[in-house]
Amino acid sequence: MTTHEDNAAPTRRDFIALSGASAGLAAIGAAGWAQNAAEIDAESFTNTDHATDVLVIGGGMAGLFAAVKAHDEGAAVMIVSKGRLGASGLTPFGKGFFVFDPKTESGSIDDFVDTVSRSALGTNNPVYTRQVAEHSRDRAAELQSWGYFDQTLAHRPFMRPIEDRDIPLLERVTITHLIKEDGRIAGAAGFRLDAEETITIRAKSVILCTGAGGFKPNGFPLGDLTHDGSVMAYRIGAKITGKEWNDGHSTRVDHPAATFDGWGDMFERVPSTNGVDVHHDLGVDMNYRAYALGNPVSGGPGAPQAETPVAGGPFVPEEFQRNFDSPPGGDGPPPGAGEGGAPGGPPPGFGAGANVGGASAGMAVHKSEGLVPINDRCASTVPGLYAAGDALGSHMSGGIYTQIGSSLAGSAVQGAIAGEAAADYASGRAASVIPDARLAQIRDQILAPLRREAGYGPAWVTQTLQGVMIPNFVLYVKKASMMQAALAYIEELRDHHAPMLRAANLHELRLAWETRNMILSAEMKLRASLFRTESRCSHYRLDYPEVDDANWRVWINIFRGEDGTMQLEKQPFGTWPAQG
Amino acid sequence: MTIKSINGCIGCGECVKSCPCDVIRMDHGKAVITYPADCQICHLCRMYCPVDAIEMSPEKSIPVVVPWG
Repeated sequence: MTTHEDNAAPTRRDFIALSGASAGLAAIGAAGWAQNAAEIDAESFTNTDHATDVLVIGGGMAGLFAAVKAHDEGAAVMIVSKGRLGASGLTPFGKGFFVFDPKTESGSIDDFVDTVSRSALGTNNPVYTRQVAEHSRDRAAELQSWGYFDQTLAHRPFMRPIEDRDIPLLERVTITHLIKEDGRIAGAAGFRLDAEETITIRAKSVILCTGAGGFKPNGFPLGDLTHDGSVMAYRIGAKITGKEWNDGHSTRVDHPAATFDGWGDMFERVPSTNGVDVHHDLGVDMNYRAYALGNPVSGGPGAPQAETPVAGGPFVPEEFQRNFDSPPGGDGPPPGAGEGGAPGGPPPGFGAGANVGGASAGMAVHKSEGLVPINDRCASTVPGLYAAGDALGSHMSGGIYTQIGSSLAGSAVQGAIAGEAAADYASGRAASVIPDARLAQIRDQILAPLRREAGYGPAWVTQTLQGVMIPNFVLYVKKASMMQAALAYIEELRDHHAPMLRAANLHELRLAWETRNMILSAEMKLRASLFRTESRCSHYRLDYPEVDDANWRVWINIFRGEDGTMQLEKQPFGTWPAQG
Repeated sequence: MTIKSINGCIGCGECVKSCPCDVIRMDHGKAVITYPADCQICHLCRMYCPVDAIEMSPEKSIPVVVPWG
């Protein structure tokens, strides 16, 4: 298998072959192969070099706590965010924050962890499940003191602890590369969205708080999340897990792309806390019903009644079964229902009216998909590289949604733990030296799409990927033949389109890098889904419909083999991989 | 048309900074809808705008790919 370098120029033969191949792909709106109408000159770029002890990549809930705690532990910290602190990724949209308060809960933390494990069919990592319960109250108290629970928009409250500590913050910077030297993390590189400037940041330790990702799907607010963190980490040798799980949120049949409308008034609500409420939610059971009985998944004309029996489908433990039907009227989930909706009612994100599955295509269950942790302190398999929140494959909830509101709480808790751990790692350690030639090579790779005289438009490649990956019969209701077919398309995009992406400006340069990351994430999702020859939680296969405890009480780790190809291995539940 | 219009912009740049998908850019001191195809219709720009200048539409400006067509 040949993997092209990003700066590889297409040959004439490649071009002729591609013209034929692309004609068979879906007819869509964006321009495909074309001359690059460059608006900026790649040769005019400057570079700014930064150095810090701990670099936090990502400006959501996890990044906030990672930066604050690393600083308070004594490290020099810098945050870099693709967007704006508190206003990018999924953090702005979640409003429920799980707090385990021993004073008001009737059960113990042990009871909570056991309940999550029963719902998650063992897929959760109980160390991380326990951690969110143990630390959630302290993180909520800190957020309260910054004014987080007094507002609708998170930017101002997030800025308070950052300004109090004078932590340097770089916003609207897209990080494209993690840099490893001498077997450990050495920094990161990327470019600014508002200036012709590349950025290099030398760091003794890096924390990825880069969030989840998807295929820029319609109906879920993750258009800026393309698994950048885990893909960059994979390229430098980190192990990645959880790619076979599926988030099962729906969107509305009317205006499916209108994410705001699909969530009722939730985006405009003030955040609030909630206690223990364990479910088995938002896997692929609704999508399976729609596959078997017809769409929409719930509500509206043509929707199957909730009591209509359907043969087969994902296993839901009896103690967690409930009626998923959307309410017949009203304006979405009732106020105060938090992230989880009303008890016994629809899962979060189910507005009134007819719903169609697959809003978040390309995203797994929160906290299940990302870098493999090697311990309870969010360390990855690459020394000095940490991850927290949705960038860490902690399996805190398992391969299915279990505790309501634990997504935001888990990001806060893990961010804080990773911040302290990364500061400890950096303490007393000398920075790695990054050779100038390596930095020059990285800058060339970053800017390559701007220099290409002709190439594929990133929007067209993304739409082609969406046409392959988003249909319900690929990742929602899985079978080997269809996933193999999709994998052939994705390999084509990886080998012959990703190396030929063009960009006319900084907006398109970001799209080009996001597109490259989505292609690799799609390959991971297909290979992991093919590898797991059973069904469990949010992973459902028509050709292997049963839970197979004899062979699959394991997580799947994905890593880059020495020959550059994608490798997969089993990691038994309850065990940690070795570092390095 | 996603983010539909900006009327009465005071040039503060809040919407530019708050858009996760880089849809809006400043031009001659005013916010301009520059890359509407990438709008995810999340309304953050509208919510961050201090003078309520932004009007939204639920319609996407490019064909929408959804799992069930």
